[in-house]
Order: sequence, then structure tokens, then C-alpha cells
Amino acid sequence: MRRIAVLWIGFAIATAVLGAAAAFETRASRLQAIKTVGIVSAIGDEMSLTQAGLTGLGNSAQSVSISAWGLDELIVQQTTRLLAGRYRVQPVTYRRAAFAAIRDSVVTPVNLLRSDPFKELVRSDITPQGLDAYIVITRARSKLGNGRSVEGVGFAEYRTLLANYGLIHALYEVRLIEGKSFDVIEKRAAAPLDNTGTVRIGGPSGQVDDTFDVPAANERLRAAIADLITRSLPVTLGDMHLIDGQ
Amino acid sequence: MLGLRTTTIDQASKAGPGPVMKHFDEAALRLKVNARRTTALLAALGAVVTIPQPASAQTAVTLPAPPFELPMLPSPSGNWTVMVGIGGQYMPDFVGSKNGKFMPIPIFAIRRSGSIDQFRGPRDSASIALLDVGNFRAGPAFKYVASRKADKYAELTGLGDVKAAYELGGFVEYYPVDWLRLRSELRQGIGGHTGVVADISADVIVPLIQRLTISAGPRFTWKSTKATAPYFGVDATQALASGLARYDAKGGAHSVGFGSQISYRIDPQWEVHAYVEYEKLLGDAADSPLVKLRGSSNQTTVGIGASYSFDFRIR
Repeated sequence: MRRIAVLWIGFAIATAVLGAAAAFETRASRLQAIKTVGIVSAIGDEMSLTQAGLTGLGNSAQSVSISAWGLDELIVQQTTRLLAGRYRVQPVTYRRAAFAAIRDSVVTPVNLLRSDPFKELVRSDITPQGLDAYIVITRARSKLGNGRSVEGVGFAEYRTLLANYGLIHALYEVRLIEGKSFDVIEKRAAAPLDNTGTVRIGGPSGQVDDTFDVPAANERLRAAIADLITRSLPVTLGDMHLIDGQ
Repeated sequence: MLGLRTTTIDQASKAGPGPVMKHFDEAALRLKVNARRTTALLAALGAVVTIPQPASAQTAVTLPAPPFELPMLPSPSGNWTVMVGIGGQYMPDFVGSKNGKFMPIPIFAIRRSGSIDQFRGPRDSASIALLDVGNFRAGPAFKYVASRKADKYAELTGLGDVKAAYELGGFVEYYPVDWLRLRSELRQGIGGHTGVVADISADVIVPLIQRLTISAGPRFTWKSTKATAPYFGVDATQALASGLARYDAKGGAHSVGFGSQISYRIDPQWEVHAYVEYEKLLGDAADSPLVKLRGSSNQTTVGIGASYSFDFRIR
């Protein structure tokens, strides 16, 4: 009797899974239907300054404006260049601040259950409508150390007992949103590059040295962040099958 | 000198300047990176950390894309990191025993590449953080408590078996600063015991250098009567069969202790760790005739382990 019950449960699960398989289009078939895309980027107006590791009490992250760096323009430009071989990229207008203001819920299951917040914004905020898909690039979040979170573009100092280490990071995620239904076809956070060392951070980052505090540091900092973005974008878009894998 | 990889900024600056930055103020400069300290100790450590290493876990295999995707669940495509390893733990034969045994412990974890493996204490239950606001995390927790077979150890003769217990509950974790973790778990037992268990611990986490971290801190456990009695109580039948006095074990403060661990990341793939956890049984657990006459209230667990991480990719 028990064996029969187990068999029935197994059959029901198999039926449900196969039914789901038949009911939902594969990502590949949805990608094939895309011909025209618009690109939205909203990661680059603020840079966080964080300390992690052996820090004092009451140490909180600061942020500074880097809107003049033009990182979002750089991202749109780079993404357009990378996608141009396969898609017709059309310029779009949008309120960058509205896209940058959206944050994931701190309650993880809510992010899985609720409708993606960018879906509605793409529908209401982007001009022109009617493209096959929209690529939305916004800041992502990662742990640094144990009790710190960092997001987007930033400069962090990781303090240990015997030495301190500097890190720059450009954490972002890419959504591919279908232009008619506004379903999120794919969402992917940019992965770490090869130079992340052993101070772990969940996205493109690199260690920096103590020549950072020279007067020209700002320009070099901007160039270093741009380098992280430029090197990680092809990998991320490749992982999403939007361009040939890198 | 420490073996920092310092090429990023220089290489990037050669790539060409960007727009003029008007808003980046001196706040950034206060976070001065000061990575070179020249003490004799540091020189010795530097010799260790400048060992050439691969930059990151290499992608070993690529698996084909799944034939379909389920709604609401994220696509499995992308890079994943698998950690496999083996550890060993010398621990008491059973809680309250004065003798120990060595147990091999397999290590296995899988996560998205780039996601961070957070600090974990050896006594932590398996848990998932459903709420994560950076320095505060909370979620469900689960612990498996192995069965206690009376015929395996002479001290337990006549006391009968205690079935395996499954403890389900939740945890909260708070980092007032990055180097101090306060954690509490509350779990309800099912099976071998049906009581409530509460664990409270604090860990000071000190990164000596990037790769080498030590941690240590106090622990405290409270157990209800239903969680204590199956392991430390002696009923009339058991008293007759074991020769121990009848004992009615009540709940309350169960143990207080101290734990410490050290972990060293040899390179992005290999990591080794070791730990020691000491626990002093308290209250009715410590006063049980099983512990007083045949066991010990001092419980020590020592463990070591090594793990290897590698990446694989799903198209």
C-alpha cells in the first residue's frame, strides 16, 4: 500500500514537472524572437565609501556623488557596441533616478514572489515603447566581510590586524525584459573578475594599492571603475546568451 | 611586504582618462589604503602570502542549459562554485560521555559564483537567511541530533535507545561591528526528543591578514525538560536495568562553553580550518547519575578540515 502511494506521488510530481516544461517557453526561444532592444543604465550616480573587517563602533558607509563620471553613458555605449552585431539597438529615454531608486526587499522570498519592480517601470517610464526587449542595468549588492553590504560603485577598505586592503567595486545586475509582456526573461548579476583575490566580494572588483591617495587619484579611480565595467560587461552579456560567450 | 595585486589602478589609468570629476571629495581620501607595514612578523607572513596562486577558481566543466525553466525560480544558467572537502572531528561518544570518538565529516556546499560564504561557527545549525539587512540576518534553522544506541557504549547499558531527533526552528544573527557576531537559535525537537533548545553564542572574528582568520567566543545552551529528560533522566525501569539511581531530569541552563576556530585560505581553491569547542554541562544534565558516575560534565570537541572549491558552468 505504501509503495503504491509513493509511486502515485512520484507520478504526480513527474506530471507537474513535465507540464511546466511544456507550458513555459525556453529562454532560447524567447531570445530568438528579439530583434530590437533598448538599453537602460542606472548604476553610476553615487559611489559608496565603506570600511569592513576590524572597524570601530558606529562606522557607517558614506557616499559621494560621481554623476560627472558618466558611468551610465559608458555602460550604454559599451552595451550598444557589444549587442550591435546581433540586435538593432535603439536609443531610449527614461528617468534614471527612478530606476536607481528601486531596491530589492531585505526579505529574500519577497523578491521571488513579488512581480519584478522594474517591470512596471519599463512599461511606464521608457520611451519609445514597443521594442522587442529592454536591457536594464542597475546596481547590485554584495557582502563585504561579515556584517557589511556594499552595492553599486564603491571604494572599500578591508581592515585586518596586520594590514589594510583597498578594494574598488562595480556591482551591477542586468535584466532582459520582454517588450510586450514586460516579463523578465533573464536577470543576472555581474560575476567577479579574475582579480578579486581573497577579499571576497560578489561582483567585479579589484584590489588597489596605497598610491590611491595621490592628487590624481580621482581620475585614476574613475578609470579603474570604468575598466571593471568594460571588462565585465562582455562576460555578463555572454552569460545571458545575448552575445557569444567570452 | 605583502603580496597585494596592485595592477588594477595603474592598468586602468593607462586605458585613458574619463570626464573630470567634480564631486568626489576628500572623504574618499580618508579611506587611505595602507597595505604595507614592515614589521618582522609581517615580513614572515608576507613570505607566506606571496606564494604564486591562481587568481580564481577555474571553470572545470560546462553543462548544457536545462531544457526548460520553472516560473518564479531564477535560471540556473551561469557559473556555480562547488566546495568539497573532508574533515574530522574528535567528540564525546554521546553528550555527557567521558570518552571520545573520531568522526569523519564530509564537506559539501554549492553556491552561485561570486556569492559570499559568510562566517560560520562549528556549532551553528544548518540555516538559511531569509531576512538579510547586512548586519542583521534571520531565517529558519535545522539541526540533526543522532540517535543514542544503548548497546554501543557500556555506560549506557540498561538506559535504552534514544531515537534521532530533528530540531526545527529559527536563528537571528547580529553584527554590531564587522568583527563581532551575536547569534541565537531556537529550535523545537521532533523524534528523539520533543523539547525546546535555545543556543546563544558570540564570536569575535579577527582577520589577521586577508587569508587568515581566527575567531573565538562564549556559548550558552538552554533546554526544556522534554529536551533534557530523554538523554539524562533515568526512569524506574532504566534504574533497575542500569544500576543507576532513578533520576528526574528537568530543563534549564544546559551548558556554558567556549569555542574557537582558525581558517586559512591557501589560495582561492584550497582552504583549511581547525576548531575547538568546550562545553561544561550545567544543571540537571550535569547532576545526572549518568554524567556524575559514568561520564563527565566537561565536553570537548576538536575538529580539522580541508576543502577545495571549483567552478562549473551551466549554459
